[in-house]
Amino acid sequence: MSARLWLYRLLMHAYPGPFRRRFESELESAFLAAQSEPRYARRGGGALFWADTLVDLCVSASRQRTRQVIAAIRYPRSSRNKVDTMLHDLRHAFRLVIRQPAFSAAAVLSLALGIGGSSLIYGLVDGLVLHPFPYPDPDRLVSVGVAFPRQSSELRFIETLSPAEYFDFKRMRSFGVTTAFDLGNRNVSGGDEPERLFTALLLDDPFEVIGMRATLGRGFLAEELAPNGPPVAIISHRIWQSRFAGDRQIVGRAIRIGGQAATVVGVMPPGLLLLGTDLWIPWGGDPSRMPRNVRQFTVLARLEGSGLAEANAELAAVAGRVDQEFRGQFREYEGWRLEARPWAAVVTASLRDAAFVLFGAVLFVLLIACANVGNLLLARAAAHQRDVAMRLALGAARWRVARELLTESLLLSLAGAAGGLLLAAGALAIAPQFLPQRVVSLAPDISLSGRVLAFGLALTVISAVVIGLVPVLRAWRTSPRVWLSTEGRSATGGRAVVRLRQAFIVAEVALAVALLTGAGLLARSFMRIQAVDLGFDPSNVLTMRLTLPREKYQGEAINQFFNAVLERIRALPGVERASAASQYPPMGAFETSFEVEGEEPGEARPNTLITVMTPDYFGTLGVALKGGRAFDARDTLRAPLVVSVNEAFADRYLRNEPFIGRRLRIGPPRPDRPWVEVVSVVADTRNRGATAPVAPEIFIPMEQQVMWNQVFLMVRARGDAPALLPLVRREILALDSEQPVYAINTLEGSLQSALFPQRVSLVLIGLFAAVALVLAAVGVYGVMSYGVATRTREIGIRMALGADAGAVVRLVVRQAIVVLSLGLALGLALAVSAGRALSTLLVDVTARDPATLASVSAVLAAVGLAAGYLPARRAVRVDPSAALRHD
Amino acid sequence: MLLALSSGDQHGYAIKQEVERVTGGDIRLGPGTLYEAIQRLEEDGLIEEASPASADQQQRRSYRLTFAGRAVLRVELRRYGAVLTHARAISPGLVDPS
Repeated sequence: MSARLWLYRLLMHAYPGPFRRRFESELESAFLAAQSEPRYARRGGGALFWADTLVDLCVSASRQRTRQVIAAIRYPRSSRNKVDTMLHDLRHAFRLVIRQPAFSAAAVLSLALGIGGSSLIYGLVDGLVLHPFPYPDPDRLVSVGVAFPRQSSELRFIETLSPAEYFDFKRMRSFGVTTAFDLGNRNVSGGDEPERLFTALLLDDPFEVIGMRATLGRGFLAEELAPNGPPVAIISHRIWQSRFAGDRQIVGRAIRIGGQAATVVGVMPPGLLLLGTDLWIPWGGDPSRMPRNVRQFTVLARLEGSGLAEANAELAAVAGRVDQEFRGQFREYEGWRLEARPWAAVVTASLRDAAFVLFGAVLFVLLIACANVGNLLLARAAAHQRDVAMRLALGAARWRVARELLTESLLLSLAGAAGGLLLAAGALAIAPQFLPQRVVSLAPDISLSGRVLAFGLALTVISAVVIGLVPVLRAWRTSPRVWLSTEGRSATGGRAVVRLRQAFIVAEVALAVALLTGAGLLARSFMRIQAVDLGFDPSNVLTMRLTLPREKYQGEAINQFFNAVLERIRALPGVERASAASQYPPMGAFETSFEVEGEEPGEARPNTLITVMTPDYFGTLGVALKGGRAFDARDTLRAPLVVSVNEAFADRYLRNEPFIGRRLRIGPPRPDRPWVEVVSVVADTRNRGATAPVAPEIFIPMEQQVMWNQVFLMVRARGDAPALLPLVRREILALDSEQPVYAINTLEGSLQSALFPQRVSLVLIGLFAAVALVLAAVGVYGVMSYGVATRTREIGIRMALGADAGAVVRLVVRQAIVVLSLGLALGLALAVSAGRALSTLLVDVTARDPATLASVSAVLAAVGLAAGYLPARRAVRVDPSAALRHD
Repeated sequence: MLLALSSGDQHGYAIKQEVERVTGGDIRLGPGTLYEAIQRLEEDGLIEEASPASADQQQRRSYRLTFAGRAVLRVELRRYGAVLTHARAISPGLVDPS
């Protein structure tokens, strides 16, 4: 036979059996005849011939197969047998499941926890990290980040570019539409209460970039976005509902923004747009007059045709050009870097690490659950082996037996999946209540979406195969002869089965150790964070932000207003102290450069945090004065300028005593800058968060400047701080009925939310570890007691021959020890290598922290030995005479 | 294919050649497509296997039109004829381009 014909025969298997059998010889002869057709005799005819043949085969075979399936559905009679068999298998599996409720419940529960937990975390990861936006085609939506190596190697995206830099790359070929926006807050009044809205000030139309259209009205026109265009605004759906009661007449009406009228031209659809902003207005100024180094814009762009790599290549070229041209003027351009990244990745970067660690952890739990159920099934299969052998001996087909077993595991998995998905749906529904607002706003609709469901079902099928495979393989290899003979009767399930079950337990123990280690490391790191001396007392302090519109308050009127507010607040019952400051720990946002008198201002001027505050700030936060005098009423605008510095500043920049009386010049270098005198040193606070080292910080009295119109009020309460909010608000409105407060929080609350990724990982991984520990203990117990049950005869003989109880316990426990130590060793290795994934969440603790590893080992050994000891005790109570009769 | 069988019994491959000849190569039937069509015509009762005349022809089964197949062919041809006549009447150039 020619190779061609042989190949064609092989390919013919694509056809359904009946068709193939009916036409086999004719197909072959047609195939052979077609070969000699004249059009295949030409050059390249062979390839053409095979192409024709393959197309013909594929088309007709798939049509035949489809016909077969349709026929099977339409005329079930023809496939009656298959359906019958399937129903029979199902009934059989169902009976097996029902007959052993305890076993089935354990299996279903394990799988429900595994599948449910995985689906829950996947749902969160999917909603928050993978698909956080309702934007169309989000993969092509990128943001441009910038890194200036002279300042920091970190790539930053939010409020990092100047208009000039934006125009440098705006017309790049890789970018389609682009936008740049400055984030700010604007007071909006008119209506019930004045409100401060998170606002994006736009250089170009952002809605085209993110791909959304106004639900009401329209987007911006080009002339509205041009410098000094007409005052217009677009508002979010949320604000439209809450502030304007969904009034459809809002479009075309004027609202007051920062005291000035602007016409509303559109309302956006619900959902999060541009970092949670609620108000969109043109930037208004002339961007070409902005200096290159005033960088406060965030840039978004849609990739056009090309991919991210091309865009980044183009950006690198632009950065190089700008470096060449402007390095002399702006030294920070030396080696600067522009890079585009998907916007979704930028926004969710802080959650990403935690999300993927959790995802890994929950998959571990699922693996453990699978190992456990597989183990239980294996035990069952060993018990049923004689049944199986009997049926095989009576002529049952192996695949029938295997199918029955697989149906059972599928049934268990499906029940587990149903429970798990219910669990996940419930947990996802209530999850937003447990997540901080800033996280929830990223993913307005976390739910059991189709993707999550598909993921859960895929897990179900995989786990069904994983847990069913082993018993099936066992059944396949069962030899009727051995199992029906007497040696089969008392055997302990066969050496291979025991080995396999032990391997399962080793894997389970190893995974549990890894999870426990993760939980332990997170707990330790969390304790470290909690134990950190913050340098201030965060309890019972209410904070809120207050921004005075420039249009209304200028110069000394600003501080007058703040002082009046503070005075009124201090008079409230329940208020201990009140103060105002531009920032408070842990939010170290404002920085400045400076020089110290008498020090050569080297190449790069040093940087420090700078906080503008009222004198009572240190008292309100409980920050200790370490030397010098506190600010007081003397320090006015007309008095000599003074500052206070923290210890970190004194140590790093003033270096040697005396610190008091030294002079600084604050801000970028300018000849007319006044010198200011250090009058005090205060204790360090964790001004960059509990987990970061203390940054140098200087404090300047509010009264000695008139620029700062945006402050945080800090109110220390005698009791419940949040309860003061309505009172405080009333006092502010009494002074100015158009003045809102926002960013309301407590000091403790803001510290907590900074630790959210750590906290949530700790709680969830702790939970997973607990589940894993229980599952592993159940596994060890199961294997040990099964071992004891099958060795009853052996133990009986040993005891009849004079073995004492201790020897029997040792015999059983030794087995447990071997399994446990293997699992422990593997688990520790796994934990140390997987620990690297955790490192971003750990503070002051390494993944190889010996104390954690030791205590995890101790816990696991204790639990494992307890699980092994119980069956051993049972073994000791075996009555030798009964055991010898045991069959 | 029915037309190809109208002049007498044919085996499968001959049907294919006849179809290609009549359509000037516009319709080419691969082996799979050919026998699929044969199977369907057979199922619909339009053609049947001709009883093999000799042992030699066992290898290559011949097919012939059934009574129903011939009737269907006649109806179809008549329908095409009517359409063609009508088309000629309203737009002669379309059917027989000169």
